[in-house]
Amino acid sequence: MIRNLDQLVDTVISNGKTYRIAVSWAQDQNTVGAIYRAVNEGFVSAIMIGNPTEIIRTCSNENIDSGKFEIVEAPDASTASSMAVGMVRKGEADIVMKGLVGTDVFLKAVMDKDKGIMKQGAVLSYVGAIQVTDYDKLLFITDPAVIPYPDLAQKTAMLEYAISMARRLGINAPKIALIAASEKSGKHFSSSGDYNMLREKAANGDFGNCIIDGPLDLFLACDRESVEIKGIKTPVNGDADILLFPSLEACNPFYKALMLFAGGEIGGLIMGTEKPVIVMSRSESPKSKFYCIAMACTML
Amino acid sequence: MVLNKLSDLRGIVAGSTKKKLILAAAQDQHSLGAVLKAWKENIVEPILVGDTESIQSICSSSNYDITGLRIIHEPDLVKAVEMSVRMVSSKQADVLMKGMVGTSILLKSVLNKDWGLRTGNLLSHFALFEVDTYHKVIAVTDVAMNISPNLKDKISIVNNSVSCLLRLGYKIPKVAVLGAVEMVNENMEATLDAALLSKMNQRDQIKNCIIDGPLAFDNAVSLESARHKGIKSEVAGDTDLLLMPDIEVGNVLYKSLVFFAKAKVASIILGASAPIVLTSRSDSEQAKFDSIMLAAASCK
Repeated sequence: MIRNLDQLVDTVISNGKTYRIAVSWAQDQNTVGAIYRAVNEGFVSAIMIGNPTEIIRTCSNENIDSGKFEIVEAPDASTASSMAVGMVRKGEADIVMKGLVGTDVFLKAVMDKDKGIMKQGAVLSYVGAIQVTDYDKLLFITDPAVIPYPDLAQKTAMLEYAISMARRLGINAPKIALIAASEKSGKHFSSSGDYNMLREKAANGDFGNCIIDGPLDLFLACDRESVEIKGIKTPVNGDADILLFPSLEACNPFYKALMLFAGGEIGGLIMGTEKPVIVMSRSESPKSKFYCIAMACTML
Repeated sequence: MVLNKLSDLRGIVAGSTKKKLILAAAQDQHSLGAVLKAWKENIVEPILVGDTESIQSICSSSNYDITGLRIIHEPDLVKAVEMSVRMVSSKQADVLMKGMVGTSILLKSVLNKDWGLRTGNLLSHFALFEVDTYHKVIAVTDVAMNISPNLKDKISIVNNSVSCLLRLGYKIPKVAVLGAVEMVNENMEATLDAALLSKMNQRDQIKNCIIDGPLAFDNAVSLESARHKGIKSEVAGDTDLLLMPDIEVGNVLYKSLVFFAKAKVASIILGASAPIVLTSRSDSEQAKFDSIMLAAASCK
């Protein structure tokens, strides 16, 4: 079982494989830095798609040897995105990654009905594995980035994605906490009904081997001491692997507070696609960007 | 001035006449410890209302010396609360604190039309957080009281909090209205409210503060993140007060700051004619003590 993100990187390196990443509109200093590190560690080869002059200039500004990358010319960000996605479709690359292009333009290429790489009928969402001091393992969270107010079908997909990522990292029976402001179910809480259904689905075996409970507040999900003080019986017992949030509004500040105030790092991916898709925000730390790349390789 | 640490509250308290705090239904181990500590350290002059025998037995078993402390005997919980609230509304005391009694009983008394502490304002929860990773104390509202405030409620919540910050010595607090994104999105009500609050502030409909929003959490508390995103804002990276869209978001954020970011927290209820200390069992004794200090410092 992988307990932190450096261990994730070590595991990818020890596989001895090299994964091909196609980067859309690659003249972006943050992206170039993270990719270069992965190339140097030996587990990635990169195809940088964009303006060759700009890519080379960006690399030299960052003291990076652009000779380590394959550079492919594209006239604009939208075309670069289609080309990157196309390479993955054709099997010329394993992973697609967003560079300096806007997320909406990039995802349009990913989701294109004819030329994109969405799984048939799949929900597009995001799962992140967060490493934070004082929690002795990774916390898989969803969704801090894509779906504002997930309905039951979307929550089900989010949960399946988080479980698949956790299992890939060796957590075979993940403990899932369905997060709310309190452990009390009620009409005032809009996700109560969905949470009941998710628990029922889990009981029917829809999610395979897992332990699920909710609504739970964050303390009951992650802090054994709180569970004892409150005297609540919950199978998750303050030891959650996966946190499903009721909304993007709740998940996004949670994730950002952990990154900024609690020394957290994240390795996260867009989910619902045939092959791993990396979308990172500009404000992500260089370390987290590198971890996202390692996570993409792990999912292959 | 701004608060850099919660301990700065001590200086504010010391610079004013000593405030009287009533502990309603005082036969409560958890609150008594903090109240007596605040008494010994000259933060407040407590008056204990409750069952004298239980109070004395708790104090003797915990080795609390209560010689010279005023105790009013009232074994009935509801009557003890009513007496406490009446004493505050008749200005015999400055701060109300909840002891061994349910929150709903206390609030019912507080909201009594004839002898309660109504001011016509909405009651709201106000919390101060101290984290090592932010350059000053950050206030957050409302993480515990109002479940899903509408625009009108949010205006009251901001006004309550800004008045409190002014009483603590702030000149013109910077208010960030939290969103999951910093763009106004017609499908996300919180971002619409945020934009309206900002505009109302520009037009002087909400005074004595600078409001900006929507701001995602990272942009509210990190200038670097805001710069990455190209956001121009007087508030970004230097937020004094963070307004939550609803209790779901607020609760998760509050608990992640306390549990993962090891934040120190002090909190009170605003909007009544006197500050109310309403801590929960799971709060640490330090948090209860700091909340008493905040209540005393925020008295007019």
